[in-house]
Amino acid sequence: MNYNRPEETIRIDWLTVIIYILIVSFGAMNIYSANSTIDHTFVFDLSMEYGKQFLWIGVTAIIVFLILIVDPKFFNFSGYGIYVIVIVMLLVLLGTGVINKGAQAWFKIGSFKLQPSEFAKYATSLALAKFLGTFDVKFAGKKNIAICFGIILLPMALTLAQNDTGSALVFVSFFLVLYREGFSGWYLVIGLYLATLFVFTILFPSLYLILVILIICATVFYFFKKYNQMLWLTLIVFFSSAIFILSVDFIFAKLLQPHQQQRILVTLNQDVAEYYPRKAKEFSLFKIDANRKDKKASKRDYSYNVRQSKISIGAGQWFGNGFNNGTQTKAQLVPEQHTDFIFCTVGEEYGFVGSTTFVLVYLFFIGRLYYMAERQKNDFARVYGYCTASVIFFHFFVNVGMALGVLPVIGIPLPFMSYGGSSLFSFSMMLFTFLKLDANRVNEVSSVY
Amino acid sequence: MEKSSKLLVFFIVLTVIGVIFITRLFFLQIVDTSNYYKALAYGSNEITIYPARGTIVDRYGKLLVYNDAVYDLMAVPQKIKNIDKLRLCNVLQIDTNEFNQRIKKASKYNTREASIIYKSLPFNIYSQLQEIIYEYPAFFIETKIDRRYNINGAAHLLGYMGEVSEKQLQVEKYYKPGDIKGVSGMEKSYELYLRGIKGKKIVLVDKFSKQQGSFAGGKFDSLPTAGQNLIASIDLNLQEYGEQLMKNKFGSIVAIEPATGEVLAIVNSPNYDPNVLVGQSRNRNFSALLLDPRKPLFNRALKAPYPPGSTFKTVQALIGLQEGVLTPDTKYPCHGGYHMGSLTVGCHPHASPLDLEHSIQQSCNAYYCFVYRSILDNPAYNSVQDAYLKWTQYLNSFGIGIKTEIDLPEESPGIVKKTQYFERVFGKNWRSSNVISLSIGQGEIGLTPLQMVNVATVIANRGYYYTPHVVKAIGDEKILLEQYKIKHKAMINIAYYDSVIAGMARVCKPGGTAGRTGIEGITICAKTGTAQNPHGAHHSIFIAFAPRDNPKIAIAVVVENGGYGAEYAGPIANLMIERYLATDKTITSRKDMLDRMLNSNLVGSSVYDAPKPDSTLRKPLLPLTAKP
Ligand SMILES: [Zn+2]
Repeated sequence: MNYNRPEETIRIDWLTVIIYILIVSFGAMNIYSANSTIDHTFVFDLSMEYGKQFLWIGVTAIIVFLILIVDPKFFNFSGYGIYVIVIVMLLVLLGTGVINKGAQAWFKIGSFKLQPSEFAKYATSLALAKFLGTFDVKFAGKKNIAICFGIILLPMALTLAQNDTGSALVFVSFFLVLYREGFSGWYLVIGLYLATLFVFTILFPSLYLILVILIICATVFYFFKKYNQMLWLTLIVFFSSAIFILSVDFIFAKLLQPHQQQRILVTLNQDVAEYYPRKAKEFSLFKIDANRKDKKASKRDYSYNVRQSKISIGAGQWFGNGFNNGTQTKAQLVPEQHTDFIFCTVGEEYGFVGSTTFVLVYLFFIGRLYYMAERQKNDFARVYGYCTASVIFFHFFVNVGMALGVLPVIGIPLPFMSYGGSSLFSFSMMLFTFLKLDANRVNEVSSVY
Repeated sequence: MEKSSKLLVFFIVLTVIGVIFITRLFFLQIVDTSNYYKALAYGSNEITIYPARGTIVDRYGKLLVYNDAVYDLMAVPQKIKNIDKLRLCNVLQIDTNEFNQRIKKASKYNTREASIIYKSLPFNIYSQLQEIIYEYPAFFIETKIDRRYNINGAAHLLGYMGEVSEKQLQVEKYYKPGDIKGVSGMEKSYELYLRGIKGKKIVLVDKFSKQQGSFAGGKFDSLPTAGQNLIASIDLNLQEYGEQLMKNKFGSIVAIEPATGEVLAIVNSPNYDPNVLVGQSRNRNFSALLLDPRKPLFNRALKAPYPPGSTFKTVQALIGLQEGVLTPDTKYPCHGGYHMGSLTVGCHPHASPLDLEHSIQQSCNAYYCFVYRSILDNPAYNSVQDAYLKWTQYLNSFGIGIKTEIDLPEESPGIVKKTQYFERVFGKNWRSSNVISLSIGQGEIGLTPLQMVNVATVIANRGYYYTPHVVKAIGDEKILLEQYKIKHKAMINIAYYDSVIAGMARVCKPGGTAGRTGIEGITICAKTGTAQNPHGAHHSIFIAFAPRDNPKIAIAVVVENGGYGAEYAGPIANLMIERYLATDKTITSRKDMLDRMLNSNLVGSSVYDAPKPDSTLRKPLLPLTAKP
């Protein structure tokens, strides 16, 4: 059923490919801007990261070509296989990490560092799609739900064990896919609510937080009391929130080791040196002992990145400084600007007009992927498409939100933009696998029925 | 929910996030211009404008200390990109290695903030640099202040400036690396008044138009506030005269105006020229001074306690009178000294017995052994120890054994032992005979020259002193600090001073212990002293005040290894008094005594050369003095 290859290529969603090429080229330009110095301006200078990025783009083109000529059935067929390989790689890394007493997130191949966690997203997408795409399997019934959760949580746990909090959090995006497949949206809302409560509990006095929730619940009850069971609902929300807050507070203040606390604080963009004395004075049920503070606690101001990021973006004003002209960018004032903070370069060099255009194009791109996922005629391709769109969406949301200072500093790359071979390969593989499946959707009809 | 409508939910979420992000972008890039300014500030340099440090004048308005501008080349290491290194190095007259080294050191300190690359630019380099500096946006020249001294002595009094240490930088945010602050003398104790408030100017660097423009219309600039000028209580003329007199001698002179506590002169010998501790050669000369075995940096006047010798008899007499164990008419015999059992305190031959007034005139040792024993063995007290404790309280009321709290750093409280000390040495029930040497100011007692002059001040004032101070007014408002308006009272009734003063008035007249040092026409009330020195010749000591009525000057002189009080300290003190009270400062009635003092040498020839001020030290181009 796959004899008409030229016809398929025509059906590739060219709009998506063009946007992809635009984003990758734009990314390379920004990496060049952030990374090139007066001494290093040659575009293909392989001693510089922007030069390597061009190399990665070349390699990506080959990978993309290979994916496009592969029989689309291969992805369905090998879904579990790739998943198992990646899980084994993560386990090996974890093992060597234990032996070397230091977590490591990559395999070194020459000067290239292969990061299995980047590919874990791809593998998980395939595995999840394969499972939910199996004939007669739906996201229903305890067993199937448990398997889906297992497929997602296993690589997530392994990534977390490597201290790669950012990459681990990305697996949360698969719950968006499950939502599409029948998971109640309330769970996502509750999840989001609890995540917000978690952050607030660590940042603010827990008892005040509980008071605020009490007031909100009481107000809601007052205005909606004509509805049945409103009393019970607000009471349940209040008490479960209070219990959650107190347990988070207790676990954070009393059970976690100082270095564990600090990892969370750094992620939440807190100045560790300032946090402990403030927290120790706070009106709180479970007091943090300021003396428990790790002796090695760095006095570094962790808000520096975000502050510099905001200055960089703010410097852009309406139209920006233009390509390779950002003063903040060229001075390399934002740490990690060519990787996780690449959006600062966009902000400074292209201004409000450029950044807004970029955000709109990127969101259109993600929206297009969701649209394409929905139009798939078999379950495997649809689930896989949702996975691809959701992972890219999560990355985009967290990355840009972090650069804009509206989300905590979670170091994850901006897909197709940030410097890095592993992430460019894995995202391109993910995307083009989906484009291939999409291109083949007409031929796939028969196999479903 | 229908599956296709779930796609709608995704689209809604995407739209909401788009709205949030674009709103946030609008706020960061368009509404909040502070980020823009912060970024712009990166393309500019923040230049600190150093305020003029307060000047110091003497009590008659003669300039003692003023400012000179020095120029430092500063750079922000992070901004150094694509520069014509060779050209800059040529102008700076250093090789590129050295240049790279300095940049490296600066970036090690802080890559984002300006550090000094070339300290105190020589003038020729400075003027060449001015021509090209605009082509080096990471570099700028900062004008700083260094001190110049209009006197080549009084170094211990004026003090010197030094670079702020790294430790201080962390504590005191006012200072930046490379700043100097007062580290001794008046420069240190009045640092807060002298330093003023720094200003800043943010200039945009435009590499192409070779211009430095003001940033944001000067919105973030601030002008410096000059430091406050000080009027010292010092009499420059008297100070210099004292330094001449002390040449080739070790010791010190302190003179005070009794009515106010204002210090008229503080002379230390050996001394050094304060101009050697400025500018480029500061560190080199400082090490030389530090290594000099004569210890020219040592402030004897405030830090060296000497046994006061016979000058202490004045204090003993006053305490005896106050305690009621002595009257002006009390007579004690002296036959070559004080004898008691095996104990003998010798005395020179003189008429016997003597009353109080003549005991001071003749400085009879035996008399004060009787006096002191009657103080300590006073039956009004339970024990010698109690009486001794009371005695030390009397001393403290004279400023002996405690710091005077003069407005100069690093003062010694002198030596007054506690009773416990004697318990350790002589056992629990020690007796007055154990401490008999204290009666004549020898043994376990030490006064700094400053404390000695304070004793003279108390007697001159008949019962009180003001905390000695070297600054009589601060700033344009001519403020005198509150602590110098407080009268400290000695625990002696005013009535008891008469006989002691009468005795002191006889000392410089024929028949007195310094009978040949008197000055025609001035009644000098004085007391000679000789401090036994276990290491060599006795120290010559003299305290005095004049005139007898309404005294204008109190003085203490210590000349190490100068022998008897009348040999060196007496003549020097009396010449100083003459000079201070005379209207014509050029003549003296005691030319003989002056020549003898100027020509005497108690030090011997020295192989050590005092550091000389930098010969290249140019006259100030731009004397940065605050308002006169
Ligand atoms: Zn005698």
